[in-house]
Amino acid sequence: MTKQGKIILMAGIALVAALGVTRVAQAQSAPVSAALADATVGEKADGYLGIRGSVAANVRAEVESINIKRRAAYTQRAAARGVSVEAVAAATGCKTLSAVGAGRAYQLDDGFWRVRGAGDPAPVPGNCPAV
Amino acid sequence: MNNAKLTNTEDGATRWAMRCLILIPLAGLSAALAGCIQVKAPDKPIEINLNVNVKQEVLVRLQRDAEEIIQDNPELFPK
Repeated sequence: MTKQGKIILMAGIALVAALGVTRVAQAQSAPVSAALADATVGEKADGYLGIRGSVAANVRAEVESINIKRRAAYTQRAAARGVSVEAVAAATGCKTLSAVGAGRAYQLDDGFWRVRGAGDPAPVPGNCPAV
Repeated sequence: MNNAKLTNTEDGATRWAMRCLILIPLAGLSAALAGCIQVKAPDKPIEINLNVNVKQEVLVRLQRDAEEIIQDNPELFPK
């Protein structure tokens, strides 16, 4: 095989791999979105997703996968800002909880799950700036 | 003794002079201090629970970063 042929082959493999990853990423968020909608998964004040009650194995795996990636993003930002990972995570928790919609589950720093009611104000975890 | 006579005197002018002798070094001292370090009492009462305070301050400071993390990684924050 010529050198050029090898390069074309490698590029083809990379393209297929990239498409595969994209498809996996797209498929990933759907079950978690459904779990968020029926309040079996919710946002927590600590900046991570949490499981409320029982969920299917694939949902649990996805939640864990998302949380690992979130932690990586928080860690990167924490290093850049010279603060703890927990601080960046909690600051993000302020944002995610303020965006929790009605009928969706959330967990404040007390560790209890609640579901936001239709007329309820946006949840504000302790120490978060008021929305 | 001259000294005894001076300190025991009832003369008003002498008393005034003696007070000045005491006050002048005090005035000089306070002037010197004013030029160095100014210690000012805080306006607000001192908070004992420092941990909570610092954390809130940090959270407020990191709100923009949190916003960016969410916007840059939409796949990690499914709706």
